[in-house]
Amino acid sequence: MRRQLRSRRAPAFPYGYRYRLDDQDEVNQNYLADEEEEAEEEARVMVVPELDEEEEEEKEEEEKEEKEEEEGQGQPTGNAWWQKLQILNEYLWDPERRMSLARTGQSWRVMIRPFAHSLNFNFNVSEPDTWQHYVISLNGFLQGYNDSLQEEMNVDCPPGQYFIQDGNEDEDKKACQFKRSFLKNCSGLEDPTFGYSTGQPCILLKMNRIVGFRPELGDPVKVSCKVQRGDENDIRSINYYPESASFDLRYYPYYGKLTHVNYTSPLVAMHFTDVVKNQAVPVQCQLKGKGIINDVINDRFVGRVIFTLNIET
Amino acid sequence: MRQKTLEIYSVELDGTKDIEKTDEGDGKEKYRGLKNKCLDLNKHHQKEEFKKELDLDDHKLSNKELERKYGTDIITGLSSSRAAELLARDGPNALSPPKRTSEIIKFLKQMVGGFSILLWIGAFLCYVAYGILYSSNTSASLDNVYLGSVLILVVILTGVFAYYQEAKSTNIMASFSKMIPQQALVIRDSEKKIIPAEQLVVGDIVEVKGGDQIPADIRVLFSQGCRVDNSCLTGESEPQSRCSEFTHENPLETKNICFYSTTCLEGSASPAGTATGMVISTGDRTIIGHIASLASGVGNEKTPIAVEIEHFVHIVAGVAVSIGILFFIIAVSMKYHVLDAIIFLISIIVANVPEGLLATVTVTLSLTAKRMAKKNCLVKNLEAVETLGSTSIICSDKTGTLTQNRMTVAHLWFDNQIFVADTSEDHSNQVFDQSSRTWASLSKIITLCNRAEFKPGQESVPIMKKVVVGDASETALLKFSEVILGDVMEIRKRNRKVAEIPFNSTNKFQLSIHETEDPSDKRFLAVMKGAPERILEKCSTIMINGQEQPLDKGTARAFHTAYMELGGLGERVLGFCHLYLPTDKFPETYSFDTDAMNFPTSNFCFVGLLSMIDPPRSTVPDAVTKCRSAGIKVIMVTGDHPITAKAIAKSVGIISANSETVEDIANRLNIAVEQVNKRDAKAAVVTGQELKDMSPEQLDELLAGYPEIVFARTSPQQKLIIVEGCQRQEAVVAVTGDGVNDSPALKKADIGIAMGIAGSDAAKNAADMVLLDDNFASIVTGVEEGRLIFDNLKKTIAYTLTKNIAELCPFLIYIIVGLPLPIGTITLLFIDLGTDIIPSVALAYEKAESDIMNRKPRHKKRDRLVNMPLAVYSYLHIGLMQALGAFLVYFTVYAQQGFLPRTLINLRVEWEKDYVNDLEDSYGQEWTRYQRRHLEWTGYTAFFIGILVQQIADLVIRKTRRNSIFQQGLFRNKVIWVGIASQIVIGLLLSYGLGSVTALSFAMLRAQYWFVAVPHAVLIWVYDEVRKLFIRLYPGSWWDKNMYY
Repeated sequence: MRRQLRSRRAPAFPYGYRYRLDDQDEVNQNYLADEEEEAEEEARVMVVPELDEEEEEEKEEEEKEEKEEEEGQGQPTGNAWWQKLQILNEYLWDPERRMSLARTGQSWRVMIRPFAHSLNFNFNVSEPDTWQHYVISLNGFLQGYNDSLQEEMNVDCPPGQYFIQDGNEDEDKKACQFKRSFLKNCSGLEDPTFGYSTGQPCILLKMNRIVGFRPELGDPVKVSCKVQRGDENDIRSINYYPESASFDLRYYPYYGKLTHVNYTSPLVAMHFTDVVKNQAVPVQCQLKGKGIINDVINDRFVGRVIFTLNIET
Repeated sequence: MRQKTLEIYSVELDGTKDIEKTDEGDGKEKYRGLKNKCLDLNKHHQKEEFKKELDLDDHKLSNKELERKYGTDIITGLSSSRAAELLARDGPNALSPPKRTSEIIKFLKQMVGGFSILLWIGAFLCYVAYGILYSSNTSASLDNVYLGSVLILVVILTGVFAYYQEAKSTNIMASFSKMIPQQALVIRDSEKKIIPAEQLVVGDIVEVKGGDQIPADIRVLFSQGCRVDNSCLTGESEPQSRCSEFTHENPLETKNICFYSTTCLEGSASPAGTATGMVISTGDRTIIGHIASLASGVGNEKTPIAVEIEHFVHIVAGVAVSIGILFFIIAVSMKYHVLDAIIFLISIIVANVPEGLLATVTVTLSLTAKRMAKKNCLVKNLEAVETLGSTSIICSDKTGTLTQNRMTVAHLWFDNQIFVADTSEDHSNQVFDQSSRTWASLSKIITLCNRAEFKPGQESVPIMKKVVVGDASETALLKFSEVILGDVMEIRKRNRKVAEIPFNSTNKFQLSIHETEDPSDKRFLAVMKGAPERILEKCSTIMINGQEQPLDKGTARAFHTAYMELGGLGERVLGFCHLYLPTDKFPETYSFDTDAMNFPTSNFCFVGLLSMIDPPRSTVPDAVTKCRSAGIKVIMVTGDHPITAKAIAKSVGIISANSETVEDIANRLNIAVEQVNKRDAKAAVVTGQELKDMSPEQLDELLAGYPEIVFARTSPQQKLIIVEGCQRQEAVVAVTGDGVNDSPALKKADIGIAMGIAGSDAAKNAADMVLLDDNFASIVTGVEEGRLIFDNLKKTIAYTLTKNIAELCPFLIYIIVGLPLPIGTITLLFIDLGTDIIPSVALAYEKAESDIMNRKPRHKKRDRLVNMPLAVYSYLHIGLMQALGAFLVYFTVYAQQGFLPRTLINLRVEWEKDYVNDLEDSYGQEWTRYQRRHLEWTGYTAFFIGILVQQIADLVIRKTRRNSIFQQGLFRNKVIWVGIASQIVIGLLLSYGLGSVTALSFAMLRAQYWFVAVPHAVLIWVYDEVRKLFIRLYPGSWWDKNMYY
């Protein structure tokens, strides 16, 4: 996989050296790619996750660049060289996974429901035809989350910690319940139109499944949405369900569908209760948390999702 | 006039007047009518044109009539203004160069030739596809634009490259034919002026002196000892004298016309010959101009390799287009969007066309051309490199090509004995007995009765290379004596010459009178040489072992036997005699008068005979044997006398030692020629006269029936007939030639070979190849190179075609099975034009697998460059294995990322949807479009690397077609390893260096994926070794026939 995760450098980052393997070219590329966005995010300083989790595919040629860079900066530390070499070596050969170039770091990608051919939600409240398919899509999607089904198939595991199931790889794994009812007003149980009929649409956000991947320890990933471009107040208020607006740790890690058969992806529902009507509102929902990357230009689904709401009345 | 003009081409070219044959009378008329036939064979209109323009009767006119006709004055010349007028009317006095295709046309040809047209269509379709997409969606992906641009770039690059290669090799020739601007001494406005020869006009009065090239066709008005060398026109090497008298009806024969571009010889006598003449025709209207234009009328045959490449292009283009269209239809009927179907079509065409191959072939050919140039074969037309290899008949000149083009003393006869002289190139060991006193006398005559001299200032030059002023025989004698006796000039100084009668054709002898070097001996010594029978007439005694003996019948018979024997060897025989003049009649102060002949010219003492021949080059017999074993028939075509021709043919092996001609058999059995069974004779010596009387069918029979043929006394024009005869036998004919009038034959031949030293510019222009050293042996090296290149081209093509299947399968499977695209079209181009180029050129350096000079020349219709087994084995055996191996890498990459092969089936549609950003893989992981695209690129790169790794194995197996790689030696061809290294380096650069260039769709690949295809590569190698093993084990079997390409 290609490295997509770009990060700004933290000035006093403890894993500085590792971190710097993330090459400068990419940063420049980002600047070129989307200056506007860059500017917006300039101030934010990203924390870089552990090397394991960082996307790092290094060109071999960069070995040279590395050295040049070091010379340029004139870092005095004598063992910096050694450290660098080690990092490079670690990059080329991962002893844990026994692979070369194995550090295809991962990060969460997110996707939303209802599923449509585009990420523009245009509908007219008074014309059910324009939003009916969203409702159908959401209903269909949530079938697997029905409380009865969840209770029957899955276990209720303790929140706030990973649901680690050691043991044989081929062994079937248990899955944690994620009940439809967790979504409250967006569960479609009380309002079968998921708010579309009132111009208060629910959008469900889920993280793309990655086998074995865990969010940063102890700190569940939170979701936060805002207007991407334009007036901050266009959205006014969002209700998140579950109210924590986070993905609980108990749903991780994922063991893959071969053994983790009934795994149910956790969801966060965003209920846009008071969006400005009759105008396109670009919304960006981001994952927030330690080590989360959410500002990649090339892949706009890394740690965030951007969509527009255009609700006509 | 018609009959007469036709005669121009029927000139008898007996280059061996020196044999002193006395058939001069009928000789001229012998070949009348020959040209009728010759021209009838050619285009009829040429004859008409020829007739019209050669109404040349100036040789019959008197000076006054000439003055009137050309409006000039013999004393004062033309006026400058009149000359300027005529110059404006007739144009400059220069041959218009052969029509050249304009550079832009050549360039455009490269741009649309071969596969280019397919690629242009592909590029065009790309833009059309983009245009349609764009019109419906302005943010359409630029992939098609990239592809279209890359295709155009490819076409232009390969076109420019081929054009550059072509131009480079043509330039060698251009520099070659560059001539030093000529000057002419002309009388205008009563003044002698030196002007560039180009400015001469009809009616100009020019002066020519020895050493000059004749600046235009000239009617001689006044001459003094002027002799010209017409060899470039008629092939006749004997100098001919020129005077102002009208001597022959035929303008080519008459002595009062000198022809453009012939040379006025530097006489050994002083003053050197001079002549004054009137220009009667200039530029293209000269005889040479006519012949040159005739040559350009003979169509240029396509070279065999051009035919082969065309054949190959047709096959590949046919396959490409038909598969493309087939899958277009399949795609459309599978409900693909037409636009998608068009893009599939483009991809299939691109995958099928070996874009780099034609450029590779050009490079390969020019590499060989360079190699041949080092061996003295300068190739004018790149494709001719291979033609030489498929040659099955060589029609070779004798003089200069097979022989050293230098008269050399071959035999001596004295003391009733024949001695053999060394005729090798340096004369190093003369082994005959030099102790006899007769030899002392003979050597004195040889030394003294000789007007040839070394040009001064050549002290350091080896004797055989020194430049001599004098004719061929005298030169031979001078060098011969210089080698044996030492400083000839010094000996001549000691024996001061007091009188001399030079050789002339009426006397047929040369006499000089000398003081002797012995101061006590006051006698004069008269020495004489000449035609043996004339010399014998003048002798009354003969010297045997230093003793003068009366010349009786017995000794006369011995003389005749020796004379006949030497003459029978085709050698030019000279007799030598001397006489010491008694002091009483010829005291020291005696004044000799050569006009009054106040000295005896008879009752001499005969000393010996000496025979000379233009000996064969020492490398030639070997070369002829090589041609023999290579199945190439060597035919000698010469203007020389049949006896000489036959003798040389025998000595070089063109007529092998144990084969006989019909005449030989008749002689041996003592029966009439007609009674001999023609099938018994292996060799035939055919004269031009016999050839003239033959019908084409008879000629065919002759050419097919005799393995060893010598054509003697042929006019260079008859070469054309012979060449056409050979070509009717489906032979690939190589012809050597040097004269202007050889040029039609050179053009007609499949490969014309001009002589670099002796050749005229016209011949070099008409030829495909120039032999820098005029040596026949160089042709044979050329043949060897040509055959090697054919074999190696086969290997190159087999190598290049193999991967086409591996490149094609991804698209077919993509369309039918719906996998995510395994390899991108642009990525393909990086194989075709990146990694594969150097390796395929490297195959050109491969050594021959066996002795390629021991097999028959290839049949131009049957032994194709790309034959069925080659295509089948490359496409369906190795190609499919390669495709499998590459897919293995592809599936490995996808599986390791989470997409197991069965998930991939029919995933294409979902995969390519931009709005699907959580596509589930086999493990339930979800992928965004961007991730998928990146994985797709990784897949491209993996597929690319898979092909690359297997192409390395393919390269190794293509080193040989029959032998095991280990027999051939894995490391003998170092360039192969350079090729492999280049493949790997380019592969590394592309996959790790270009990962960030979006348009190229490369991604960084984990190192281990490089090794996934390695077992497959090994398998390919083993498979091919097994194939070769069975071919070697069971020659002639089904396997051999179908698996040997």
